[in-house]
Amino acid sequence: MIGLIADLGSGFLGKLVRIGQAWLMLMQAIIVQPKASSLSRLIQQLYVVGVQSLIIILVSALFIGMVLGLQGYTLLAAYGTEQAVGQMVALTLVRELSPVVAALLFAGRAGSALTAEIGLMKATEQLASLEMFGVDPLHRIVAPRFWAGIISLPLLVAIFSLVGIYGGHLVAVDWLGVYSGSYWGNMQQAVDFNGDVLNGMVKALVFAFLISWTAVYQGYTCVPTSQGISAATTRTVVYSSLAILGFDFILTALMFGGTV
Amino acid sequence: MNKKWLELSVGLMMVAGVAALVALALQVSGGNMSRNAQSYAISALFENAAGLGPKAKVTMAGVTVGEVVSVVIDPNALMAKVNMEIYGQVDYLSIDSSASILTAGLLGEKYVGLTVGAEEEVLVDGDVIEDTQSALVLEELIGQFLLNFGDNK
Amino acid sequence: MATDDIINIQNVSFYRGDRAIFKNLNCVISAGKITAIMGPSGSGKTTLLRLISGQLQPHEGQIRLFGQDIAALNRKQLTQIRTRMGVLFQSGALFTDLSVFENVAFPLREHLHLSVDELYNKVLLKLEAVGLRGARDLMPSQLSGGMARRVALARAVAMEPELILYDEPFAGQDPIAMAVLQRLIKDLNCAMHLTSVLVSHDIAEACAIADQVILLGEGRVLVQGTPAALQASNDPAVKQFIHGEADGVIPFHFFAPPLQQELRGKSE
Repeated sequence: MIGLIADLGSGFLGKLVRIGQAWLMLMQAIIVQPKASSLSRLIQQLYVVGVQSLIIILVSALFIGMVLGLQGYTLLAAYGTEQAVGQMVALTLVRELSPVVAALLFAGRAGSALTAEIGLMKATEQLASLEMFGVDPLHRIVAPRFWAGIISLPLLVAIFSLVGIYGGHLVAVDWLGVYSGSYWGNMQQAVDFNGDVLNGMVKALVFAFLISWTAVYQGYTCVPTSQGISAATTRTVVYSSLAILGFDFILTALMFGGTV
Repeated sequence: MNKKWLELSVGLMMVAGVAALVALALQVSGGNMSRNAQSYAISALFENAAGLGPKAKVTMAGVTVGEVVSVVIDPNALMAKVNMEIYGQVDYLSIDSSASILTAGLLGEKYVGLTVGAEEEVLVDGDVIEDTQSALVLEELIGQFLLNFGDNK
Repeated sequence: MATDDIINIQNVSFYRGDRAIFKNLNCVISAGKITAIMGPSGSGKTTLLRLISGQLQPHEGQIRLFGQDIAALNRKQLTQIRTRMGVLFQSGALFTDLSVFENVAFPLREHLHLSVDELYNKVLLKLEAVGLRGARDLMPSQLSGGMARRVALARAVAMEPELILYDEPFAGQDPIAMAVLQRLIKDLNCAMHLTSVLVSHDIAEACAIADQVILLGEGRVLVQGTPAALQASNDPAVKQFIHGEADGVIPFHFFAPPLQQELRGKSE
């Protein structure tokens, strides 16, 4: 019994140590004077991480917005308040669904790819080779990927919200016949830019940090074999998804918790 | 050539992202920013503030001029004290203004309605509105109605 | 200390977990020669290479590279000393997102400030030396294993190092590619006055070009000498390795209790 508790303790301490290591790695990677060539590497990564995630983000946003429009309409029509569908779609998206769903998709699409890429670079000795040329792989490989994640996700979340709201408009207004003026009007009355839109962006930024950090750390420290890389990729998706959902609750409680 | 396309597409994504944020600001929230920065606080004492909570609207002639910050008990008066933030540009509420707790529709949310009085002097930060009308509590209303009904019989 | 000794390994011990990879390892590698480090798999050849290049730190003892203790160097000094050596990794380790030309240009761009033309000429000469000038615009994924290794070799010598480390240069190569690599290693060593250290378990190929052979086993240097001396050695472990006998001093069986104890279904 005591052994069990001791195991639990040592397991917990081990996790803390790993988080500490991951933090140190991140600090070492990103605290550096940017060079002229860093920008082109960042753009390269923004393409891989951001632009290549656009399609999945756009398609998912459209469908989620449409589903929200349909469900909201059915629910609200029962009380004769289907005009409020715009407000419902917008608030749900801006506050919760956009940051969370976009982040989950991003973790699956971009986070896993980052881990696999860095892991494969490790397995093929490219990281060691960089080091032998006197180039710190943390600066060269890890930093641009981390920053690309931080920059991309908030932009993707903003796009997600807007596309989702138009998806809701498509279903509620164009198909089900809610008056367009009340769709936008109710929305504009209910949505507050600072309180709702910006808070959603803050969530996006926090999630971006969690995903990018997890992805680069898992890739950089993976066991450089095929099983090792696949395990690290899985861990990236699992850990970042759990972190997203956990932090979403905490952030929601902090941001909107006071509003009874 | 390839590099150009790469830079172009990244640029487009950034522009699209920022444009989406701007659209969210204008189209979705209607430029509706909370004006906490330039607002002032007033409060009002009510016999009964049932159903009123933080973030409820404060209106004047049907136009939102502020919001409720908190609803607490005033230990001296033993009444509900409703603290409100009024937008800075609404600086013409006379000191004899009255406040009442109203309901939007039959089952809608509670909000505070202000009516301006005749005095020259205006309410400033920290002032208290004396003239109030409490929330309509449906149960009490029905109870009174039944009582009157019984008396008449 | 003699200036001749490029690498001086003194009493080095290195552990992985509880297992000692090296125990009090001593050896000296002198300038201008091709030294082959040989030994059976698991004898720590690649680990030794990593220790020499400073990617790993020994637990005990010290390794002096160009007369400097590499464990005592800070990052900047380590980078400095690494520009004086090249490493050819087992997999080639070409950067997969860069073309052949850019791969060879990489160390030059990092450390030297050359004009566009100077850089171009320099890279082209290095590629010419390995016979792949025509492949400069290909991506690493389009190269065969042997070609990738030749490009990696061109990249490793791009900075004109004094020392070059080869990790299993012949592993998994067809006979032609092997012969090409052999010739390249030999030629480069002569032409550029390099010191070459190559880790290999291909005895014939390594012995054919090496001036000196270090045979590792059981965490120490079993024998050090010329290839001819190695062939003539009477040490049973050396003989087993050279002649490729399955069982001998280095046992065929991984350490285990006697078979009788491990088989089931038989009572005592």
